[in-house]
Amino acid sequence: MQVLIYGAGNLILSDEGFGVHFVRHLEQHYQIPDNVELYDGGTLGIMVHFKFEEADKVILVDVVQAKGEPGDIFRYEREDIMLKNIPVKMSPHQIGLQEMLLISEMRDAPKPDLTFFGIVAKSLDPGDQLTPPLQAGLEKVAALVVEELAKVGVELKRKSD
Amino acid sequence: MSRITLDPITRIEGHLRIDVEANGGKVTNAWSSAQMWRGIEVILKGRAPEDAWSFVQRFCGVCTTVHAISSIRAVEHALDVEVPLNAQYIRNIMIAQHSVQDHIVHFYHLSALDWVDIVSALKADPKKTAQIAQSISDWPGNSEKEFKAVQDKLKAFVAGGKLGIFATGYWGHPAMKLSPEVNLMAVAHYLKALDYQRKASQATAILGGKNPHIQNLVVGGVATAINTENIATLNMERLIYLRTLMEETRDFVQKVYYPDLLAIAGAYKDWFKYGAGVTNYMAVPEFPEDTKNTKFMLPGGVVMGGNIGGIRMVKDHRDDYLIKNIKENVTHAWYEGNGTLHPWDGETKPDYTDFKENGKYSWCKAPTLDGKPVQVGPPAQIMAAYAAGNPKVKKLVDGAVSTLGISLKDIHSTMGRLFCRGARAHVMADLSLDNLDKLIANIASGDQTYANHTVIPKGEYRGVGFHEAPRGTLSHWIVIKNKKIENYQAVVPSTWNAAPRNDKGELGPYEASLVGNPIADASKPLEVLRTIHSFDPCIACAVHTVDPEGAEITKVKVL
Repeated sequence: MQVLIYGAGNLILSDEGFGVHFVRHLEQHYQIPDNVELYDGGTLGIMVHFKFEEADKVILVDVVQAKGEPGDIFRYEREDIMLKNIPVKMSPHQIGLQEMLLISEMRDAPKPDLTFFGIVAKSLDPGDQLTPPLQAGLEKVAALVVEELAKVGVELKRKSD
Repeated sequence: MSRITLDPITRIEGHLRIDVEANGGKVTNAWSSAQMWRGIEVILKGRAPEDAWSFVQRFCGVCTTVHAISSIRAVEHALDVEVPLNAQYIRNIMIAQHSVQDHIVHFYHLSALDWVDIVSALKADPKKTAQIAQSISDWPGNSEKEFKAVQDKLKAFVAGGKLGIFATGYWGHPAMKLSPEVNLMAVAHYLKALDYQRKASQATAILGGKNPHIQNLVVGGVATAINTENIATLNMERLIYLRTLMEETRDFVQKVYYPDLLAIAGAYKDWFKYGAGVTNYMAVPEFPEDTKNTKFMLPGGVVMGGNIGGIRMVKDHRDDYLIKNIKENVTHAWYEGNGTLHPWDGETKPDYTDFKENGKYSWCKAPTLDGKPVQVGPPAQIMAAYAAGNPKVKKLVDGAVSTLGISLKDIHSTMGRLFCRGARAHVMADLSLDNLDKLIANIASGDQTYANHTVIPKGEYRGVGFHEAPRGTLSHWIVIKNKKIENYQAVVPSTWNAAPRNDKGELGPYEASLVGNPIADASKPLEVLRTIHSFDPCIACAVHTVDPEGAEITKVKVL
């Protein structure tokens, strides 16, 4: 069972960088087994699409534009991401997550089990720190990821700090 | 008259809004507006100069390596540090492979669908497609079987209602001109291209450490240890793997991307007549071959008013004319005042006013060279290399000019930009391998130096780091005071190209390139996208929040 934890985000737009802060948080506070890869995907989108084809289970962590308070966490599965009503766009090149997954399908690439934890951002201003509600969200999402991995028999233990 | 607003014009590379006025099927006026404040420079003030390079990699969603290179060069220039040959070659390989990856993705995934009609590919004859593909290239992946498989897959997706990206776009738009077979060939290669851009990114990672953000730079060189004998470091076996990857990407670029580009360009020859815009160009020399950054594998130059013959060559990265004359004006940008400042004295004080077409309307400043707007990007570098008589570039350009039946001045156009990017990718693929050969020869000769260890001294220093990046000339400007960053400004390629009007009211390159552009249907402004995408727009700091509500992301408002 190969697991990939993919943190997406722009590290210099405060809360936008949550996913990247998150993988760093895991690295710092948890013992990461050999079969779990932490990946800081930044904002590369399609340039690193292949990471989504490289594991048996992928956990994506990113900010999400959903109705809610800053720090609220939402969970989505692959099917949720592959919305049936992909928004009307004027250009086919606005390649987002859904399209990347679809292109992977077209290439007959492996389709790992995919879980997406999205957190509502408070600030996207330039800055390399998270706002308090998102800072608090790091450990909340970590707990969710631990639970998620326990279901498939992968144990993430906190370092004795 | 209709007024069309496209917002945003790209998603993965951040926020760009384009407004055009169309009269009688032609664009008569245009505004380019960056919709995000890039106050990144503010974050850097007070930090250690030797750490800036790892921060600036986060400037942008797509171009990471380039900012790291520019930043480290800015510090090296400020402190007059020499860079050992091994480090130059390693940086050169990373730069060239990053370009290869970037250009492959741009051509296939960010611009090809402006020209390629995916739905039309459903009607293609796979056998004929294979004949066409084999007639323009000896690449082994162009069999009838391959094309049939892609077409079957496409049909299954259509039948299953899973069109996704392929359901939208401008299929059947009257400006789509390719035959079903060429469309199918391009779609098949669109999917294949993903495998090859990945190989290029793996190649960069072998040298740069973790992908996608390189980790191996230090002021004065690189932290990459190569020991041809030792298994634990970068050894001969890894270098052989690196070569294999780079040979594969080279073959894809030269036998798939480039022939596809020429086939598409041949079908859309009228696009060599549109989209010139600003014909002042600038490129800096790239791929240093000595420790002092005075000798380069590719030249740079400044072309004014489209006069390639009158090019002023840029000899090295200490070119006084560039260093003195690059300035940024904020008359039409959302920053305080209307002044023109040199980047070393640059300010980033926001002053947001809403979109005012005669006032301030963009977060982009307007960079100028000697007071004039300038276009940067592959055309500038290709023209400089052509003017300098670079044999490879000359052969590619002359070959294409005769194959396509165009003239040299047709390079100033929408299709010309796409052509130059493909030619640049062709050159980069070879340069990657040339630099690897040089690296291995240099190590074999006994040179074991990878960095000149540098301590930031007390006092005040100014530096500029130039880099000819995939989207054009990039410069990072640093002022160091008592071991801390006192000021930092990055003048990025997309700022040159996406610039709003300057203090004299002259249009920026995107804006000017749209004026005169045809527009068949104001509600489907495909032609506007063609021209803007030809620049490979990359407005730094991609905000890529996933929108689970499926809300409409793009507004095309026809007023």
